[in-house]
Amino acid sequence: MFRFDPFSPEIDANPFPAYKTLRDEYPCFWSEEANMWVLSRYQDIVMALNDWETFSSASGNLMSEMPNRAGATLGTSDPPRHDRMRALIQKAVMKRALDHLIEPARAAARNRLEAVRDKQPFDFVEDFSANYTVDLIAYLFNLPPENLDQVREKAVLMVQSDPVTRTKSPEHLAAFEWMRDYADTLVEIRKREPGEDLLSQFILAEIDGEKLQDREIQLTVTTLIMAGIESLSGFMSMLMKNLTEFTDVRDALVADPSKIPDAIEESLRYNTSAQRFKRCVQKEITLHGQTLKPGDFVCLAYGSGNRDERQFPNPDVYDLARKPKGHLGFGGGVHACLGTAIARLACKIAVEEILQMYPTIHAVEQELEWMPSSTFRSPLHLWVRA
Amino acid sequence: MSRVTYIDFAGNTTELDLANGMTLMQGAVMNGIDGIEGECSGSCACATCHCYIDEAFLDKLPEMSENEDELLDGTVSERLPNSRLSCQIRMSDALDGIVVRLPEEQS
Repeated sequence: MFRFDPFSPEIDANPFPAYKTLRDEYPCFWSEEANMWVLSRYQDIVMALNDWETFSSASGNLMSEMPNRAGATLGTSDPPRHDRMRALIQKAVMKRALDHLIEPARAAARNRLEAVRDKQPFDFVEDFSANYTVDLIAYLFNLPPENLDQVREKAVLMVQSDPVTRTKSPEHLAAFEWMRDYADTLVEIRKREPGEDLLSQFILAEIDGEKLQDREIQLTVTTLIMAGIESLSGFMSMLMKNLTEFTDVRDALVADPSKIPDAIEESLRYNTSAQRFKRCVQKEITLHGQTLKPGDFVCLAYGSGNRDERQFPNPDVYDLARKPKGHLGFGGGVHACLGTAIARLACKIAVEEILQMYPTIHAVEQELEWMPSSTFRSPLHLWVRA
Repeated sequence: MSRVTYIDFAGNTTELDLANGMTLMQGAVMNGIDGIEGECSGSCACATCHCYIDEAFLDKLPEMSENEDELLDGTVSERLPNSRLSCQIRMSDALDGIVVRLPEEQS
């Protein structure tokens, strides 16, 4: 009998064969291990993303949610409050507002790449993407420079879950609590001395004449740090995994760097790090002969929708010329990733600098170890040689 | 059905008949018109369906929400007085014949 366990190390390593079975045979599947429904076809996922009244985020959006987080962040609230909160942040993270990020990002990338020149092979995750994303987020949020290594360590831990207990382990929860306290301290500092940074703008903002609640600010800041550091680094590692594996694509980008954005979009489709998010059913709905009841949780398997042959021809081929429109690499609907412009810019600059400095960068023989997470998918280490 | 004409930045013109109720963003995306992205699939959250509306139809459009107004301040291509987000405009008999120009870049 077919089973789908998003907590299993096998799914962390390679979810795609199971996704295909789900799409073809069980398009609305009840996973006992996850205790939720799983939607795997592109059209079904898009439908759910666009119907927040039936598929609510207010009870949490991460597959394994953190305690007392739901309802207080952008990703875990529904319209209309969501829309007002999002509008407060959106402007500061749109492409036109990010020109100031280009030069610091380029300098950070060069600096981190120079540092590995004599260290071959090097771990792309620990030696580059982790450091580079921390550099960027520290700049954007004006984070104090003292304990950035620890911030990164906790951001990585807090998105993980335990494959045996299928929940957050005490270590993961402690990381979340550490980050919440870190955010709290940061918010207190900014309240006293507001700056020009994104966090200060958010803290000072009002919705309908009312300041945001402390818990909303604290948990939203916690989530922004987590997403900015962990999710961005995770995706960048997947992008580099593709470029060091498909060396013909790498060579095409070296020959014509203007194609780098196409490689980023195809990576977002082919094996995005944001594999699965969840929603909670608000009103009864029947899908593919199954009845979903209010209170049921539903997993939206973005990574599967992105490989749905009903939407993308030859979905298992990484095709630089594909230019995939409507991919689910950033989710979609009202909760589509807030940081898309930052992520695209950060990845574009990183790949430009990497390929200019190390045009023959390639993967070395290795058994990849995957992050234990029911939501995200990225390697813990990625050994490459320049 | 109401008629809409999309003109992309290069000047290519496409005429379509859209069902009333469909948004200008959906009409473009579903018919493969480049130049409209619609990343948030019509939730008024991303500003990648920016377009310029024919002056003759400006006063027939639904009023702009505060969200849309703020998002338009951040579009990649320049905001003009006739800038709107195409996901916020639904086709209706009143908009029959509308001409929509697409900006150079969305993201």
